Amino acid sequence: MRWQQWAIPASGLPVVAFLAWGLTTDPHTIPSPLPGKPAPEFALETLSGDSLRSSALKGQVVLVNFWASWCLACRAEHAVLVEAATRYRDQGLRVVGVVYEDSRDNARAWMAERGGDWPNVLDAGSRTAIKYGLFGVPETFFIGRDGRILYKQIGPLDQEVIERWVPKLLAAGGAEAAAAPLDTFAEGRSAGHVRVSPESPTARGTARPK
Amino acid sequence: MRFQSPIIAALAWLYVAAAPLAAQARADSATIPRDAAFEAKVRDVALSLRCPVCQNNSIEESPAVFAQDMKREVRQRLAAGESPDDIRRYFVSRYGEWVLTKPRAAGVNLSVWLLPVVALFAGSLVVWTAVRRWVRQGDAARLQAAASMAPATAEPVAALDATELRGRKATLQASLQELNSEFDAGRLDARDLAILKQRDEAELAAVTEALKRLKKEAPDAARQRHEARRSPTGLGGVWLARLGWGVGLAGFALILVLTLRGSVAARPEGGTITGMQVASVPPVDMELQKIGPLDSLRIAQLEEKIRGDSTNVPALIELGHLYLAQGLIEKAVLVDTLAIRLQPDAPSSAEAFAHLGMILWGTGETEGALKSLDKAVFLRPELPEALLYRGIILFQGMQDMPAAAEALDHYLAVAPPDANTGRIRALRDAARQASAGS
Repeated sequence: MRWQQWAIPASGLPVVAFLAWGLTTDPHTIPSPLPGKPAPEFALETLSGDSLRSSALKGQVVLVNFWASWCLACRAEHAVLVEAATRYRDQGLRVVGVVYEDSRDNARAWMAERGGDWPNVLDAGSRTAIKYGLFGVPETFFIGRDGRILYKQIGPLDQEVIERWVPKLLAAGGAEAAAAPLDTFAEGRSAGHVRVSPESPTARGTARPK
Repeated sequence: MRFQSPIIAALAWLYVAAAPLAAQARADSATIPRDAAFEAKVRDVALSLRCPVCQNNSIEESPAVFAQDMKREVRQRLAAGESPDDIRRYFVSRYGEWVLTKPRAAGVNLSVWLLPVVALFAGSLVVWTAVRRWVRQGDAARLQAAASMAPATAEPVAALDATELRGRKATLQASLQELNSEFDAGRLDARDLAILKQRDEAELAAVTEALKRLKKEAPDAARQRHEARRSPTGLGGVWLARLGWGVGLAGFALILVLTLRGSVAARPEGGTITGMQVASVPPVDMELQKIGPLDSLRIAQLEEKIRGDSTNVPALIELGHLYLAQGLIEKAVLVDTLAIRLQPDAPSSAEAFAHLGMILWGTGETEGALKSLDKAVFLRPELPEALLYRGIILFQGMQDMPAAAEALDHYLAVAPPDANTGRIRALRDAARQASAGS
């Protein structure tokens, strides 16, 4: 009979443990299945009308940044992105913007006003956004030279996030990185069958918002 | 089927021949067959997928643009020949299991299906054992009753203690009395009476003898023997169990309080489903307009109005004001932007510009904020909140003290005095002093 005295309180333990786990877990954080997987491919039109194929970025460290001009949090983030793109350019960091639910004109005006000379693509029908499992803007994917997603940032980037992930990505396979062509974007040369060019002349070199 | 004219027949043939081609073309383009069965299939799949930009909506039910985009993706994939399960698998590979409105019965999820069955089984087991025990107890009671009628089967007198012996004695006496009354009533013949009486009397004698013997023994020893038999675990076991319960309950309460406190903490306004935080208006060390209990009612009213007519600028602006007061920054931006798009140069849009100015100031966009507030003041030179925020931004953001003093002066001249007037006057004075000093 003695075990029964303990069995009843003991049967409460799993319930307590379950409650403790459930009540301390934030139901709003949804784990993404994407980190660790190869980054989804896309071939989209840039703001300047060229087409950009993600395969042209193979072997480089890429930040794929989803944004929109109507997105308030993207404003603060943009300066961080400009800064990161400038600082790590020589080490081979590439940034690609994907415009989410926004018009070409709005996106162009944004880039012209706020700077940044990386290519931005228009995602008609949000097919690429779906491929990347997007919940909203801004979201940024940190992609390594092996083409795999290392990290997904939900919400605006800040300096700390950049410093935590970008050097790590750049350090991985650094030797081959130096050999990788750095000029595909800057000079608008063709990479394979795809011509890649900077967004607009006004956007070049203007690193800070006016 | 017979066709009425060769032309229709030819057309029908053409249609049949071209159908696969046409289907291909439609699958490739955005327009895809619209027959009812296909639509039902699309609806089915769309209902099973959760909208990532909404709260608890499927992409079928959500009016959000992104949900519609996802639904189009479903449509295109179905038209391309993918099965509903393929499509669901695709979305799960991008968004995780979360995207399914109905979780799959596999892995940990399976417990949701299995636990009720397990609980039902365990419950039945408990009820069954309890009932069995009760039945056994009932049987035992009846046996005992029978034993009192037939004392020969009773346990040996030597094994009983004083209390039990006394009880036994009473039972036997009652039994003897009953035998007599049974005999008087004619339900027992004389021979049976004699046999039963003899048995009972013999046992009664033995019991009385045993009682006498017990009385001679030390009373302590008898009690000890009794206690030892009744609870073999002893007094310590009972208290240990009680202590266990106490500690368990206290621990449960403690864990509950600690965890609940964290989980019921209000999600900050503007927080989104992904936990992302939108920059909010910084504390300007000022009492904001009090939020009345009627505000949410008014918000609902205005939202309804705007659903009916999205070009209702006064409603949009009032809504922007209420959203801002409640800290719903994203919504405020939305309606104010809409109002400005509709009437960029109307004096009524001044408030919308003022709101956006405050919000931009909150996000650290000092120059943008100032531009927006300039526009507000241009449209309505005496709009108090625009003047106030212009003053604050000129003071804190631009450090342009003369301009700040002027703007705050203007504000103090037009605004009715309220709880903040004193602090603003102090700010104005500080601006004046600073500009005089420079």
